[in-house]
Amino acid sequence: MIMFRDITETISKLPKLAIYLVFFFFIIGLTGPWLTPHDPLIVNLLEAGVGPSAEHWMGTDHLGRDTFSRLIASARTSLVGMSLILAFALTIGISIGTLAGYQRGKVEEVLMRMVDVGQSIPSLIVALAVIGIFGTGYWNMVLALAIAWWPGFARVSRVVAVNVMNKPHIESLRVLGASPARIFFLHLLPTTIGAVLVYATADAGALALSIATLSFLGLGIQPPTPEWGQMLVDGLPFLESDPRQVILPGLALTLVVIGFNFLGESIALNRVPKPLSRLILKRRRFETNEWIKE
Amino acid sequence: MKTALLKVNNLKVNLYTEHAAVRPVDGVSYSVAQSETVAIVGESGCGKTVMNFAPLGLMPTGVSIDVKGSIRFDGQELVGMSEHGLRLIRGKLISTIFQDPMSALNPSRLIGRQIAEVSELHLGHTTKQAEAWALDLVKLVGISDPEYRMKQYPHELSGGLCQRVMIAIAIAAEPKLLIADEPSTALDVTVQAQILKLLKDIQMRLNMAMVIITHDIGVVAGNADHVAVMYAGRIAEYGPVEEVLVNPKHPYTKGLISAIPRSEDPIGSPFRGLSGMPPYLEGPIRGCGFSPRCTAAIDRCSTSRPSFTQITNTNVLAACHIVNQSESQGAMN
Amino acid sequence: MRKLVIKRARNAIILLFLASILCFTLVVSAPGNIAILIAELRTPGASTEAIHIIEEELGLNNPLHIRYFDWLSGVVKGDFGISYKTGESIGEAMAGRLSTTGTLVAGGFAVGFVLSFVLGFAGALRPYGFLDSLTRSVALLGASTPSFFVGAMLIYAFAVELSLFPTFGFVGPQSWVLPWITIGILPASVLSRIVRVGLEEAMSKPFAITARSKGLSRNMILLKDSLPNIAPTYINALGAQAAGMTVGTIVIEPLFAWHGVGDLFLQGVRFRDFMVVQAGLLIFVCFFIVLNLLVDIAVIMSDPKLRRQGGQS
Repeated sequence: MIMFRDITETISKLPKLAIYLVFFFFIIGLTGPWLTPHDPLIVNLLEAGVGPSAEHWMGTDHLGRDTFSRLIASARTSLVGMSLILAFALTIGISIGTLAGYQRGKVEEVLMRMVDVGQSIPSLIVALAVIGIFGTGYWNMVLALAIAWWPGFARVSRVVAVNVMNKPHIESLRVLGASPARIFFLHLLPTTIGAVLVYATADAGALALSIATLSFLGLGIQPPTPEWGQMLVDGLPFLESDPRQVILPGLALTLVVIGFNFLGESIALNRVPKPLSRLILKRRRFETNEWIKE
Repeated sequence: MKTALLKVNNLKVNLYTEHAAVRPVDGVSYSVAQSETVAIVGESGCGKTVMNFAPLGLMPTGVSIDVKGSIRFDGQELVGMSEHGLRLIRGKLISTIFQDPMSALNPSRLIGRQIAEVSELHLGHTTKQAEAWALDLVKLVGISDPEYRMKQYPHELSGGLCQRVMIAIAIAAEPKLLIADEPSTALDVTVQAQILKLLKDIQMRLNMAMVIITHDIGVVAGNADHVAVMYAGRIAEYGPVEEVLVNPKHPYTKGLISAIPRSEDPIGSPFRGLSGMPPYLEGPIRGCGFSPRCTAAIDRCSTSRPSFTQITNTNVLAACHIVNQSESQGAMN
Repeated sequence: MRKLVIKRARNAIILLFLASILCFTLVVSAPGNIAILIAELRTPGASTEAIHIIEEELGLNNPLHIRYFDWLSGVVKGDFGISYKTGESIGEAMAGRLSTTGTLVAGGFAVGFVLSFVLGFAGALRPYGFLDSLTRSVALLGASTPSFFVGAMLIYAFAVELSLFPTFGFVGPQSWVLPWITIGILPASVLSRIVRVGLEEAMSKPFAITARSKGLSRNMILLKDSLPNIAPTYINALGAQAAGMTVGTIVIEPLFAWHGVGDLFLQGVRFRDFMVVQAGLLIFVCFFIVLNLLVDIAVIMSDPKLRRQGGQS
């Protein structure tokens, strides 16, 4: 379909570094369990606080668990968590947004008011409120962040929906007798999903950060499941003696967020043409010198 | 002939993009004397705007250019001048006004400030002096209720008023040369005439030389002393307005003039346009640029570039083999 | 302009009202019976009788709308109820912590504001040059590094290793430096990009060419012509960052052991202290609504097209 061509075109224009970072994150997240030299969950107090060695490439934490393995396993935790949250938030957000954009009128007003309220409260507060009411736990966290994230998707969906519905070809489809369901599912939804996915990618960094922040506060991923934010807060009391336990998870998290943010910035930016590189300039100058002087 | 204030000699401008090299100005020569107006006429894309803005460093950001040839202005050579040198000339000795006055003004600043800063910069005025100077200018360009207008923003003004403000900005430092790029094109027809008249009045007051860039021959007739007809980056014909418009020599000029609808034409008669399209400038042009569309073209026209020579007994220069041929035949007789 | 401001203010009041209803809904659907809690606090092992008396006292049996007005009038006076965990008045606890949080946010705001222009301008002076790439990388790093990581690293480098600042605690100006930098780096980075990109866009607009034709130098054009044009976008982003910083206090106050509003809210969430959560939510949401209103007004004032809605005359 046309969508694929657009996607590959856009990808080729994006900065390589960002693509590599995100891709790396995905690969490690997916293949994690096969890459870990040790079981990230096994506690071994005899080896606690050990520095980097042949056995433990990045040392161990205060409970003797292999840091390297835990870092890798955390990638998977983040990836899975992000995917789940996005799945829920996208479903809710796109449904509500396209419905509002399709129906217009009263329905749109009511739905968008809800979206407004949701968007005016920062995501972390919403998540904390939900967790404060329902308690901690994996699915509570997923629910909390999904609730925090869907308004953004709803807003984008609605804008796209309104745009698409205003296009002349939709009018012609209606005249030709296409059913509302057909217009909705074959024409409106694909465009909306494409646009929202782009937005979701740009926003993914913030999501990864939110999961880590909640885990840092002890309200997200609960031990023993490893997660970077959680590893960091566990390592804080040992900051003086073993800063590695804080630095390593922090770095891993930062790299992933950099990847997504970099990607997001490039997608969003509509760049003013930059001056030609010296090489191209030289090439062009050479061209014009070849022209016949009449 | 008066001594030339601006003398352009064999000017060439190359423009480089990511994908191609273009030569919008390909060996152009003309001159402008003090208090004189030269009109540069041509279709869109013939290079007339680039010709005037590139040497002054006024191209949009992200455009790479090379300027070759010579432009002598008031004793200085502009080609090859540093940005610093050009900056001293811009606004003070040479000013410009632009095609779309509403976007040419800064939407976030007061009109009065935008005018005043010119004299602050070039005439050493204090803020108070500059504001008073700007007020006089606003009155000079014929804006009613000047004190009120000075405190307004561009979006509160109509197109005609914005252009008057642009003119005020351009003449604030009393420049010797004013370059007007399609000054009336973006305006309503009724306002067009007013703006052109205003320019003429100001030119007389300030004893200023003026270059008017336009695609409208009607603008040329009433407002210019000399006219240069441009095509595909080259000048086709150049001379005093009366001679070129009344007795055009170059086939392109002839086509332009005859295309003007006359009141004698019966209703419903076909438009006498020129067939074909102007050439792309992305490569060297062999021979005369107009030859593909020229009805009088001979073989030579598509192989060698005609020289830009004066026609005997006239003040007109033209670049056309046919004209040159009849010249030499006439000389032989 | 006045009409626009009034419209925005009216919207804000409606939103405040909606927020209050939301929080009130949370209060009345709270698990557990606050009457029991209070009864227990007064006399351990209280009888059902005593509990009923307290219920009457608190008005728990009144119809909903009366309870709403009671609750609302209490909130406006600063009475947010009693913490389940500590039994003390939440309103008083919050009041005591406001100055701490205020110090943190104000300082971070200043850091973010100043640094954003330093970084943004430095890049705009010579686009695509070395300084531009450098500031861009710094901004990307600053925007992507989690605040708690920044804080931890700063503590490690400057407090633990170099002993320049105290490692934690709210103990005078010296203890403010690291927390301010920690909370201000993200806003500084995000805002510096807005400045840099905004300036570049403004410089490629036609009015920048007009400015050049006047003979102005590039730096002057940046300062006098381009800067006013980025004001509305910047102010909007500044407001968003201010909201973000306020939320950031929840993470950073515990890190530096500052006893502020964010810290209290976090504890409420941790221990499922319902009243604290609800009170914190109300305060935060009302703060954001008011903040958004102020930002809207500031944007209207900084954009001539909105300020003077007369159109052409």
